[in-house]
Amino acid sequence: MNFDGTFEIEDVTTEEAWIGLSDPVLIEEALPGCEFLIAVDEGDVDFDELRERAGGETPSTLPDADPEDVAERAFEEGGRYAALVEIGVGSVKPSFETVITIDHREFPDMSASGEGNASNSSFKLDAGMHLAETDDGVAVEWEAHTDVFGRIAQMGQRLINPVANRVVNQFFGNVESQLRGVEMDDSGSLRDRLGNLL
Amino acid sequence: MDSDIESAEALAEGEHLVGSEMERREDPNLVTGRARYTDDISVPGMTHLMFARSPYGHADVTSIDTSAAESMDGVVAVFTWEDVEASDSPGRIRVEDMIPMSAEVPDHPVLADGHVHYHGQPVVAVVAESRYVAADAVDAVNVEYERLDAVVNPREAAGEGAPTIFESCPDNIISSGELGDEDATDEAFETADNVVELDLVNNRLIPNAMETRGAIARMDDGRLFVEMTSQAPHRHRSNFAKTLGMRETDIRVNSPDVGGGFGEKSHHFPGDAMAAWAAVQLDSPVKWVATRSENYLEGTHGRDHVTTAALAFDDDGTMRGLRADTYAAVGGYVLDIAPALALMYGRLLAGEYDLPAIFCRSRAVFTNTAPISSYRGAGRPEAIYVIERLVKRAADSIDMSPAEFRRRNLIDPDDFPHETAVGATYDSGDYEPTMDRALELVDYEAVRERTEREDGRLVGVGLACFVESTGGGFESGVVRVHPDGGATVFAGTHSHGQGHETTYAQIVADELGVDYDDVEVVEGDTDRIPTGTGTFGSRSTITGGSSVAQSARDVVEQARQVAASQFEAAPEDVAYEDGTFHVEGAPERSASFEGVAKAAYGMMLPPGVEPGLEATTFFEPDGTAYSFGTHAVVVAVDPDSGDIEIERYAAVDDCGVQINPKIVEGQIHGAVAQGVGQALYEGAEYDDNGTLVTGSLQDYAVPTAEQVPEMMTDSTVTPSPTNPLGVKGVGESGTLAAPPAVVNAVIDALRPLGVDHVDMPLTGETVWRAVQDAQATDD
Repeated sequence: MNFDGTFEIEDVTTEEAWIGLSDPVLIEEALPGCEFLIAVDEGDVDFDELRERAGGETPSTLPDADPEDVAERAFEEGGRYAALVEIGVGSVKPSFETVITIDHREFPDMSASGEGNASNSSFKLDAGMHLAETDDGVAVEWEAHTDVFGRIAQMGQRLINPVANRVVNQFFGNVESQLRGVEMDDSGSLRDRLGNLL
Repeated sequence: MDSDIESAEALAEGEHLVGSEMERREDPNLVTGRARYTDDISVPGMTHLMFARSPYGHADVTSIDTSAAESMDGVVAVFTWEDVEASDSPGRIRVEDMIPMSAEVPDHPVLADGHVHYHGQPVVAVVAESRYVAADAVDAVNVEYERLDAVVNPREAAGEGAPTIFESCPDNIISSGELGDEDATDEAFETADNVVELDLVNNRLIPNAMETRGAIARMDDGRLFVEMTSQAPHRHRSNFAKTLGMRETDIRVNSPDVGGGFGEKSHHFPGDAMAAWAAVQLDSPVKWVATRSENYLEGTHGRDHVTTAALAFDDDGTMRGLRADTYAAVGGYVLDIAPALALMYGRLLAGEYDLPAIFCRSRAVFTNTAPISSYRGAGRPEAIYVIERLVKRAADSIDMSPAEFRRRNLIDPDDFPHETAVGATYDSGDYEPTMDRALELVDYEAVRERTEREDGRLVGVGLACFVESTGGGFESGVVRVHPDGGATVFAGTHSHGQGHETTYAQIVADELGVDYDDVEVVEGDTDRIPTGTGTFGSRSTITGGSSVAQSARDVVEQARQVAASQFEAAPEDVAYEDGTFHVEGAPERSASFEGVAKAAYGMMLPPGVEPGLEATTFFEPDGTAYSFGTHAVVVAVDPDSGDIEIERYAAVDDCGVQINPKIVEGQIHGAVAQGVGQALYEGAEYDDNGTLVTGSLQDYAVPTAEQVPEMMTDSTVTPSPTNPLGVKGVGESGTLAAPPAVVNAVIDALRPLGVDHVDMPLTGETVWRAVQDAQATDD
């Protein structure tokens, strides 16, 4: 199944949006149903171990977070991340053990691929996004190609499409409110300290 | 008219019950909730079977971990293919004998044998104390797969570079065959004035009986007893014997009330096979009932043909030759008779026409989809769709009225029996009257003039003429008269909506000359019925009806012998009229049927006279009976939205002698509804990975009552010489006629816009796109 769309965020610059969308902590908090999002090494991912590790306090995000920390934890091209995401479709609410690789990351474009597994359902995902400046903010142009298998796939597009739309809209809505307050005017120190991410 | 009153009057006038619109005696139970379906059966100690199924269309199974499921409270057993292999049972669903196959491939295993070939294939079986526990335990089963490339379209599956589904069948073509004469057809195409071509997809359909598949199996006094929803209980008994490695004598199958079948319930599935296998292994009752979604995943689907076809004809409309080249899916395994359906579908390609040369090449092809097998119509709708779509295109191409084009080519009524160029022998027919009547019912000539409605919608009229082959194989029928003169009829068919209890009682009451209410009809139990072929292929009245009729006639002869012995007369001097035996010319020496029945079971029979009144017949018709007819449809199409409204639908059928015209009409209504469903709404879709994306009634559109058109029905009667009743089958004709009639009508409406073909289902979106594409090409 293919999904795409454009989400416009007002009063945010392209750079600010890029920094925000590069922060795994912000993504974890913004993505509905996401229990954790953790950088992992190559090889098998032990989700039981990650579940225990993810129990602690979530670090803060910009503008409260230390820019050094944000820069330190930001997505890297080739980086691999494990996430546990619960998605409710109709009467079932599977938790997907998901592993994502950042395939390409070069301002203002990012793409990632991965797969998620839950009991009786699984998916494969290729996704990309491009940030474009608008008159009063930024437009996040995104697309995703997914192959969905198992019980969820069988529920049909009519159920999956609204769920996908809901998740995407909530996600960007959350991103938008998280980014509010992050300002990187030319005089600020944020640009200096996070410029390497751009 | 109230049918009871009518039939009472008919009886009072000494008329026959055959031909009367008796109310269906099975209906009070069916409409008041007193019917007893398989899932209504509950026995002490019953356990429940469910399956962990493949989420992938094509994969290798790399590991199975059942430990979590096994340790759950209430789980009785968890089985994998290893367990089946370790048992005495073959555990594979045997393909019917005599099916031509070009490669040795493993039969469908009841649980995956390391490979899965379609989404939803059963991999692990869980037996638990309740359905809920079984469902939870299925979720706890952990199966790892190595996913493989899938192919779902039959033409692509047979093409270069397609993934191979069985190693021993590298091109995925399990059978291929030819019908007709290639040289004669080539010559017809070379010498004819015109040729039209069409690429056609006959959309994949999912059967939607109200009652899903199900079975409850248990050991009963050392024998396996399976109660299941079945169209063919004896066939199922044979299947269980083969799958489980048992003797048929050790198995009893009983099919209670059946909530629709449409062909799907004549097949043997992993579900009923595993329920029986587990009942034997565990020595406890096991129930399996498919959910609607499971029925979609792992039940047999229908149609799924991709065809290139062409028609050669002269300027005056004379049809000269037809070519068809077809790829037909069989799904991930061969089930039942699927390859034969694909190879023999071409037998009906001549339709109602005197078509001198036909050549059809077809291939049965593995695809990563649920198995295909017979679904109401089963090969015949695919053939009639090809010829009737070609006829429409041919008539349009020379600006001839499609009705006139057809009329010029109809087989002459004096030309029966008629052998077609593809080897079918039509028994009897008189085609023009059904066409004339259908044209009259929709006011054809007037509607041809009317191309647009006041609201701007485009109006079109479409026709489909069809023949349908009905009534193959033998059937058993027993008539047993009891000492009080009442009769029980046993037939090897099994009604799943067709009203056999009524129809057979009408036939037998007429033959015996007894009261309709004194005749009881029994079907479905292999322990009570000698043997049976089953109910499918529009065969029951022809085969089952004729066998019970013949048995009733034999019983009358037995009774005549008994009566003659009572009268001390020669049997040939004993007449039987209106329920009374009497000596010819001496009406005072008479005895009632009841009196003779009593005597037949009495102690006073003279030597030489056989006691008892009972006869068994194994009847096989003398050839195939070809029903026929014409359906005519008027549609209004909104080119801006693609929305289609059926304004008028006329169905004129000839199924020979009608035992119960009301039941005949009901069969036509139901089949037309399904045919309209195929034309406008229904289509099973798999994505490129082999995932069924129309996995429930939410995404697979079965027409609702509102979407089924009002139908005008009428009929003619051309008796069939193939059987003593003169009947032909009628259960499926609507599924043959409706799809081409509806599509032809829509094409007729859209022709001014340059649209000359749209593949089914004609949803708003497909029609709208066709209009857009045609206009883009136009510009």
